[in-house]
Amino acid sequence: MKTHPVFADSYEELFYKALRIRLFEERIIDLYPSDKIQSPVHLSIGQEAVAVGVCQALKPSDLLFCTYRSHAYYLAKGGNMPAMMAELYGKVTGCGRGKAGSMHLAAPEVGLMGCSAVVASTIPHAVGAALAAKIQKQDRVIVAVFGDGATDEGVYHESLNFAALHQLPVIFVCENNGWAAYSKVSARQAYSIVKHAGVYGIPTMHIPEGYDFVKVYETFADIVTQAQRTRSPYFVEVQMFRYMEHVGVGDDYRQGIRSRDELEAWQARDPLMIRKDLVAKYTPAVQSEIDAAVRYAEASPWPGRDELLKDVV
Amino acid sequence: MTSSNTSDVLTYREAVFQTMHAALRDDPRVIIIGQGVDDHKGIFGSTAGLLKEFGPHRVMDTPLAEEGVTGIALGAALNGLYPIQTHIRADFILPAMNQIINLAAKYKYMFGGRFQVPMLIRVVIGRSWGQGAQHSQSLQSLFAHVPGLVVLMMSSAQTILESYPYVIRHHPGPVIAFEHRLMYDLKFHMNELRVDHSPLTSFRIRTGKDVTIVATSIMVMEAVRAAEHLAKYSDIDCEIIDLHCVSHPDTDMILKSVSKTGKLVIADTSWKAYGVCAEICRLVCEKAPNMLKAPVVTLGMQPAPCPTAKSLEDMYYPNLMDLTDAIARLVKNRSNHGIPLPDEKSMADVYKKFKGPF
Repeated sequence: MKTHPVFADSYEELFYKALRIRLFEERIIDLYPSDKIQSPVHLSIGQEAVAVGVCQALKPSDLLFCTYRSHAYYLAKGGNMPAMMAELYGKVTGCGRGKAGSMHLAAPEVGLMGCSAVVASTIPHAVGAALAAKIQKQDRVIVAVFGDGATDEGVYHESLNFAALHQLPVIFVCENNGWAAYSKVSARQAYSIVKHAGVYGIPTMHIPEGYDFVKVYETFADIVTQAQRTRSPYFVEVQMFRYMEHVGVGDDYRQGIRSRDELEAWQARDPLMIRKDLVAKYTPAVQSEIDAAVRYAEASPWPGRDELLKDVV
Repeated sequence: MTSSNTSDVLTYREAVFQTMHAALRDDPRVIIIGQGVDDHKGIFGSTAGLLKEFGPHRVMDTPLAEEGVTGIALGAALNGLYPIQTHIRADFILPAMNQIINLAAKYKYMFGGRFQVPMLIRVVIGRSWGQGAQHSQSLQSLFAHVPGLVVLMMSSAQTILESYPYVIRHHPGPVIAFEHRLMYDLKFHMNELRVDHSPLTSFRIRTGKDVTIVATSIMVMEAVRAAEHLAKYSDIDCEIIDLHCVSHPDTDMILKSVSKTGKLVIADTSWKAYGVCAEICRLVCEKAPNMLKAPVVTLGMQPAPCPTAKSLEDMYYPNLMDLTDAIARLVKNRSNHGIPLPDEKSMADVYKKFKGPF
């Protein structure tokens, strides 16, 4: 069901896509106390612009591998919203038949090839899919999305090395929000992420404006074009700010983990906060789409015993 | 096993090589990826020469990055390839446990059946010539414990020819196959291939009435030798089941056999605790404890890391004498059974084909 309105321009289209993600996740926050959603949620609020900008530059045939914080990518890549809400509810009509929950969203029909709760674990999958693309002479590009925390892991380095060694058409997107749960980047890393990635001979790009979907889109579209042409890896680090806490629907400002000043500085540049006119213009259409998704989830059946041992091997 | 040189015999190495060659030749999805697959030794000859015939895109050497390469194989499987990954020692699969257990085993179920990751991981168990603590482990139970994986143990050239082409063609999920280094140079009699049903099960390879021996990998061969010895020097008639698919054994076959013999010996290549020995005992205890006329007997490695000194290694692994004696004691229900035992103390002395170092 496509409920997207006709947009005045491409800015409004991107705005609408970002707003759709934010309002969807705000609905999760509203629903969470009801315990209808019993799945650990890692909200993307504040980070939507990156998912929207990246996915806008991709075709459905381009493959995307993500993390446990992937509500935004599922929606931006074109995943079905009612199937996502049903998955959060644990219903059999969910995109993972109630076996995936929030952390393992997938929509292979639009190229979202899986999300994992184990940090960095899908990065080699993107590299392997790119290897297969090269061997089978496919023209798609493959994108690996991960956080700054994933760059701590050994398999991240193994993946970058392999992609560079074999010149594979994979784009690494590092979403740097500065935190791995409650561990600061400065407590974890002796290296600069972009400089380090460059050591493998992979071209790199740093985008400080992770709130700006136009900037992310335009930059990323150039990178995709380049990766398409050269059939070789690329690395992008985007600076961003996670508004909510690591997991769950609360925040972590009162606990003294982060300062509200940082949040407010970021929000002052966030189009979804500033452009109240566009929020007002598009909210009714988005809310009605979300309402329909909630109704679908609530009306859907639970998975039954026949599902318990289905699809194990 | 035989030393004859007729056309109905095949070495374990030749069997693996034939299946690898045929897979590359017949199936454009197949790539072989692993450390050393393209070098002059070619995983003990099992991939030798394949680089030259099929090129570097199909036969790929890798960085020393076990987890990364397993994840890369998984990603390639998600995008249309059939990767065959190799580890020259089973011990080297351990850095890849995250990808195997957290990802490959779960990729189908966790996403509600939306993905399949067809891939074969071949690992080689080492033994003797001082392989030591980290070149000798037999880790089948670690993987068979986890739902989502198929775990095979290759006991002969025959089971290799039956299993590898089948899983590559017909099983669209992750399979971990344990090969045994000591068998690589041995020649096996070939029977007609059993192609009428899936090899992802167990095989009864000898029919008998007095005792059921459930064995894995090289212990299947040892069980056959023990059974032949006992048939020659006693009236003991052994039934042998090659467990083969340790993750999905034929439980009916085992129970049916034990209901006939009432006596059960389990001979595994690994430690007994929480492993194949323990699992087969669980099956019998849960399903049919009254069938047993005597306590189950298990044979496996001693509960220690593997030592390198030959004197210790010979005590570490059960040998043909131990196995034959255990069967005779169980069937005769006494230790002074009077049956002559094979005077063999070390499997490595018998299978002199393996000259080390690796």
